Amino acid sequence: MSQNVLKVENLTMQFGGVVAVYDLCMEINEGEIVALIGPNGAGKTTAFNCITSVYEPTNGRISFMGKPIAQNSPHKKMHFTYAGTMPDAFRGKHVHLTPDKVTKLGIARTFQNIRLFGSMTVLENVMTAMHLRRKSNMFTATLHLNLAEEHYMKNKALKLLETVGLLDVQDEIATSLPYGKQRLLEIARALATDPKLLLLDEPAAGMNPQETDELSAFIKRIKDQFNLTILVIEHHMNLVMEISDRIYVVDFGKLIAEGTPAEIQENPAVIAAYLGGEDE
Amino acid sequence: MRTKKINSSTLWSALVIALVYVGVFIAEQSLPSTSMLFTVLKKGATYALVAVSMNLLNGFTGLFSLGQAGFMLIGAYTYAILTIPVADRMNVYQYYAGGLVQFAMPVIPALIVAGLVAAVFAFLIGLPVLRLKSDYLAIATLGFAEIIRAIFQWNKLGALTNGSNILREFPTFNDFNIVNAEGEVVVYLSTTIPFLIAGVCIAIIVLLINSTYGRSLRAVKDDEVAAEAMGINLAHHKQLSFCVSSFFAGIGGAMLAMYQSTIQAKAFTSAMTYEILLIVVIGGIGSITGSCLASFLFVACSEWWLRFLDQKQMIGDFEVPLLRNGFRLVVFSIIIMIVVLFFRQGIMGTKELPDLFGRKKNLKREVKA
Repeated sequence: MSQNVLKVENLTMQFGGVVAVYDLCMEINEGEIVALIGPNGAGKTTAFNCITSVYEPTNGRISFMGKPIAQNSPHKKMHFTYAGTMPDAFRGKHVHLTPDKVTKLGIARTFQNIRLFGSMTVLENVMTAMHLRRKSNMFTATLHLNLAEEHYMKNKALKLLETVGLLDVQDEIATSLPYGKQRLLEIARALATDPKLLLLDEPAAGMNPQETDELSAFIKRIKDQFNLTILVIEHHMNLVMEISDRIYVVDFGKLIAEGTPAEIQENPAVIAAYLGGEDE
Repeated sequence: MRTKKINSSTLWSALVIALVYVGVFIAEQSLPSTSMLFTVLKKGATYALVAVSMNLLNGFTGLFSLGQAGFMLIGAYTYAILTIPVADRMNVYQYYAGGLVQFAMPVIPALIVAGLVAAVFAFLIGLPVLRLKSDYLAIATLGFAEIIRAIFQWNKLGALTNGSNILREFPTFNDFNIVNAEGEVVVYLSTTIPFLIAGVCIAIIVLLINSTYGRSLRAVKDDEVAAEAMGINLAHHKQLSFCVSSFFAGIGGAMLAMYQSTIQAKAFTSAMTYEILLIVVIGGIGSITGSCLASFLFVACSEWWLRFLDQKQMIGDFEVPLLRNGFRLVVFSIIIMIVVLFFRQGIMGTKELPDLFGRKKNLKREVKA
């Protein structure tokens, strides 16, 4: 039996009166590519932000490799306005890490609206993401006594750029690249943090059909090459159906279906969510 | 190919810097020591160090802090308190029975301690203040600098700080000159040594910026959310930048004390911070070379080149109108407005010295910021 890499239990994220994610449960096993899909505003990116600790969940628990990385239950004022389920299930232990700690544990992500470091070259962008695995301290780094490590970082960054096919633009300013290449660079940067779980937030957005085709092959390739488990948010159904082992579908923050691509395509609730169902 | 090119431009830059040092040394031996040039060079070197330390914070980490004068004050006082010769203390601390500290340190260790004390203050003040962003951080640090200035003038602390009285008799730049037994100066070093101190400190900052920590600081400036998602601990790195910046601002303050030969807390006003901010903006936010050049230009303009505007000037029989005491500042303000309106990138933009010798770098870097 393969181990759960990521386990999301009863995740609820409430902003004031708006429940962005409602009682979401997910399990992702090692080596899987899992897709999280749903109409616009369904709460997919919010779920990502909870997993990476950008947000503190209102209720629920998120565990990574068996260890809780976020756990919360509605408290104080939220206790009275809370609109989700099971308000007492996760009481007691409160866990909230900062995003950098989550990344250090091995969860890397890309962003829906690209967030590259705009003052840096492509190569520097990737090298920056290796800072968290540094062995040098401030003094050795300042005095450049860590040349071996710098050398290792640079070589590894170059290898990653070769993997994503950006080796020829390594000295360009990152934000001057075309959109599709910026997305690839974001993936390369995420890979530089040595993740076990990679979260891709709409990697195909803004890509043309040919680039999208290449992307699905690319995602499968990096999964094998870097031993990754991948959770992907995507709107391109061709891509989703092609790469994913399992799919979770959310609508208005609620999980409405889960299963293999074939099952999801047949699921009436999913079809209703996307195309509008009959009135009941 | 590329590595070779970088090496040649770096070599050229090193050569230019070396020539500047040789030039300063030779000028100092050959020109009379009362020349305005040396005033400008000494104060310029001091301001260059402080401006670069401010640039590390504002230009490379994206923390808009206005506490520089406060940290300079801490550095200057620490230096002065630690180095006044024991024999002179009775004289200096005349209202406080010779003061609390009854020992004197050599100059260089005192400089380092001055930096360390400023860094410790920065660490403590950084704990609450660095949670703030942009304008709020600026206001909080500005307030801190004003509070520090008031505290150092408080007469209850007089045994340590001499209250609102001046501190003097500590070693100054002129004490670096090598004198013979008769008291004649053999080798003039009163400008070269400040240049060396500032140079070493700026070199350390440059090395920091070019290390993996420097990349992370720039990442924090570019995009905090992305930086954090890439595993960069925001609080830790902001604190680090703040402390390092204040460390060097402290040393800069100590150098200012040496330059002025007397110090008084009330001189470290927010106007001083603005002067330094101005240097950073004129030089180019995010350019070390720019900060250095701008500080010398700024000091030269305010102390030397524009001085004639403060006096009556006659061209033949014609008396030039408007020229009177204070007019220099009007012209100065106009120059600044022109710079801000038409040269928004400053003198250097984000370019550095090696870039001028053809190091390959994409100029689009400037567009995004």
